[in-house]
Amino acid sequence: MNQPGRLHPISIAIRDIAAIFGRMGFGVAFGPELEDDWHNFTALNVPEDHPARDMQDTFWIKGEPGKVLRTHTSPVQIRYMEEQMKKGIKPPYRIIVPGKVFRNEATDSTHEAQFFQLEGLAIGEDISFANLKGTFTQFFKEYFGPSIKTRFRPSFFPFTEPSMEVDVWFEKEQKWLELGGAGMVHPKVLENAGVDPKKYQGFAFGPGLERIVMIKYGIPDARLFHSGDIRFNYAFEQTSVPPKQVTD
Amino acid sequence: MKVSLKWLQTYFDVPLPSVEAIADAYTFHAFEIDEIKGDMLDVKVLPNRAADCLSHRGLARELSAILDFPLKFDPLHEPHQGLPLVAKGSPWCGLSVEIEDAKKCLRYMGAVVKGVRVGPSPEWLREALESVGQRSINNVVDATNYVMLNIGQPLHAFDAGKLKEKDGKYAILIRGAKESEKFTTLSNEEFVLKQGALLITDANTDSAIGIAGIKGGKEAEVTASTTDLIVESANFDGTSVRHTAQVLRLSTDASQRFQNRPSPELCAYGMHDVLALITNIAGGEVIGMVDEYPSHPEQNKSVSVSLEKINSVLGSNFLEAEVENAFKRLALPYIVVNDIFTVMPPFERTDLTISEDLVEEVGRIIGYDRIPATELPPLSGVPDQARYRGIERIKDQLVEQGFTEISTQSFANQGDIGLANPLDKKRPFLRTDLLSGMSQAAVNAQCLSARVLGPLQTVKIFEAGTVFGKDKERLSIVKSQWPVEQKAGTAVVITPQEMEFSEEELEQWGSSYIPKRYELSAYKPFSIYPFIVRDIAFWVPTGTDEGFTKSLIQEHAGELLVRLDQFDRFEKEGRVSLAFRLVFQSMERTLTDEEANSIMEKISAALRAAGYEVR
Repeated sequence: MNQPGRLHPISIAIRDIAAIFGRMGFGVAFGPELEDDWHNFTALNVPEDHPARDMQDTFWIKGEPGKVLRTHTSPVQIRYMEEQMKKGIKPPYRIIVPGKVFRNEATDSTHEAQFFQLEGLAIGEDISFANLKGTFTQFFKEYFGPSIKTRFRPSFFPFTEPSMEVDVWFEKEQKWLELGGAGMVHPKVLENAGVDPKKYQGFAFGPGLERIVMIKYGIPDARLFHSGDIRFNYAFEQTSVPPKQVTD
Repeated sequence: MKVSLKWLQTYFDVPLPSVEAIADAYTFHAFEIDEIKGDMLDVKVLPNRAADCLSHRGLARELSAILDFPLKFDPLHEPHQGLPLVAKGSPWCGLSVEIEDAKKCLRYMGAVVKGVRVGPSPEWLREALESVGQRSINNVVDATNYVMLNIGQPLHAFDAGKLKEKDGKYAILIRGAKESEKFTTLSNEEFVLKQGALLITDANTDSAIGIAGIKGGKEAEVTASTTDLIVESANFDGTSVRHTAQVLRLSTDASQRFQNRPSPELCAYGMHDVLALITNIAGGEVIGMVDEYPSHPEQNKSVSVSLEKINSVLGSNFLEAEVENAFKRLALPYIVVNDIFTVMPPFERTDLTISEDLVEEVGRIIGYDRIPATELPPLSGVPDQARYRGIERIKDQLVEQGFTEISTQSFANQGDIGLANPLDKKRPFLRTDLLSGMSQAAVNAQCLSARVLGPLQTVKIFEAGTVFGKDKERLSIVKSQWPVEQKAGTAVVITPQEMEFSEEELEQWGSSYIPKRYELSAYKPFSIYPFIVRDIAFWVPTGTDEGFTKSLIQEHAGELLVRLDQFDRFEKEGRVSLAFRLVFQSMERTLTDEEANSIMEKISAALRAAGYEVR
């Protein structure tokens, strides 16, 4: 009789994360990995020929100049809001989007050309930067443990204003590790998705998922995740969380 | 942008704190620090501030705001003293400038300096440049680099002696390159230019002396024998510079600045400073100057934001006085009427255009740590996670059936959709299915099975991932298992099975499902070296403590034993036959058969000594 198989650690992490965000009112949304220029860049306030495009090395599609492999999960912000508005559903919106993204960068132990991002979006009439800090703080406490320390510092992304970068204190290495970017959704992004920026505001974030998982479990190399190697699944002691403790 | 503490200090009367304290000040209020080396800081200036902060002046201004130290002087906001501005076409100015396309060259200032002595730079200048990783070349070239690094305006000096004078005049024409026009840069790189790439040319000979906004040419290089200069302080369109720099794969200090669209107003400050410095350290006399400025840009528009908006976006409770203080420290001219701040951004702050930009300025200067962390307000209704849970439900079923989830790369060696710029030339396509990744993974998993899964386990794997057809991408879930009757040495045929689900089905499946949850331990590194498998079977009398036999094996196997599974047991005539599978592996090296054999002999001996019959 075969023993049960094992989930991929990314799936295990997404379940933990979806449960935490579910308790804070977030749904889970999806979008295409092969994107158009509008959703991946222009609608997100990254115009053509703008140096901000250099912030993400892009895979372009042969023979289809307007198509790219999405460089981030942020285009799903636009797609989700567009869809909701089309259905006549106005904010509040709260979603997370765990999904694969692509960057045309040389790979090493901390960089892969394909990885997962954990997008988040919360839009309402009075969603603030303080709520973004509160949401991150809550997420990290639940995911990493109550003693986790976080800090927030300024940054720049074309699709958020103000923007921030969030770091967590990594006890084992005794240093701050950068987890990812976030900020208040830029009014142009709301406008491009058909949401009235005079009435609504909110935040978005997009840390790398592998990085979060690497920090939590002490995984040394990002290339282990998408190698198709079953040794990675079995490189952990795994215990089931009893169903009665699973509250979503 | 590399800055040195000593250079920054020239902007302050108050002594600056340590490099570490400055790094912290930038980190928490403005920019990330990429590197600290001695008294040099490499500041990561992002595109929104590249127009003003790729300069010591800009970064000193930021530091002044963050630390609340007054700036001693601001070169961009001091009155100009005695710049010899000469009217266009004036007969004695010695230079004419013509711009072919005013959209690509927003401003061109050229000055003629005669009688300079080119030589080594003074010590302070050499030191300043070297402190930020630049190489000293000669006093004239160093002066242009220094002023650029100081206030952000790219500058260039041409050897006027290498240009042709006609009727007592040099003539500069800024024009697009002709098809396949050739150009050799100062560092002897040769380029064949695309038609339209913007060039600085000597109009009297029609030869190119610079690629506009990117790099100067060999043709008019300043050398030890140079006596007369044409000094350029210009502003080229960001898109045009960026495009040419990308095509030529030639990114320079100048191109990085121009592509971020600094204000053309900056040209005059650059020209003023560089002429002052050149005449000071290389002598010479400014004979004349041309300022071709076809269309002055509009002044930066004023931007307003209310105190209420600031606090609503940030979720803060900042007071009017605190906000005012932030604008004061940033030296942003403002007025406040009825709690509404109206800021008039100075010419170099091209980044301040909407009220949210001001919200950020206030937030970061006061400090993100001063903004509370507030829970989101509760939301009525249940969040929609149905589709995701539907997918996870399928995964849970597969795991229950013994399948292990893998994740493979989305790139493939064949497919319907190709990448224009693949990273891996052998896999330039997007996968149309999960099969080839899965077959490879299955073969690998089969080889690892004894080590990872243990005896008598059939290798079963699955993947859920996006695949890309000609017209549409879709989620594919594929499972495969190693054929049971597979004989060693025969070709393996794995027949993965694809399961198809519509979005509606997934949503329906997930609507009331709660995915299973697992806790994982810390990651345990695995060995990349091959392992060796050995079986052992032996008879023990009925009633023997079978757990003891296992410990006995473990004890004599040593630390190279990484897995021990019992895979058989039967009773016969008052005796019990036990069979164990042992896996040996080292973290550091490849084991030899001899090593495994000698361990096995030790184990057999131990079992015999305990009175068991090894079969």
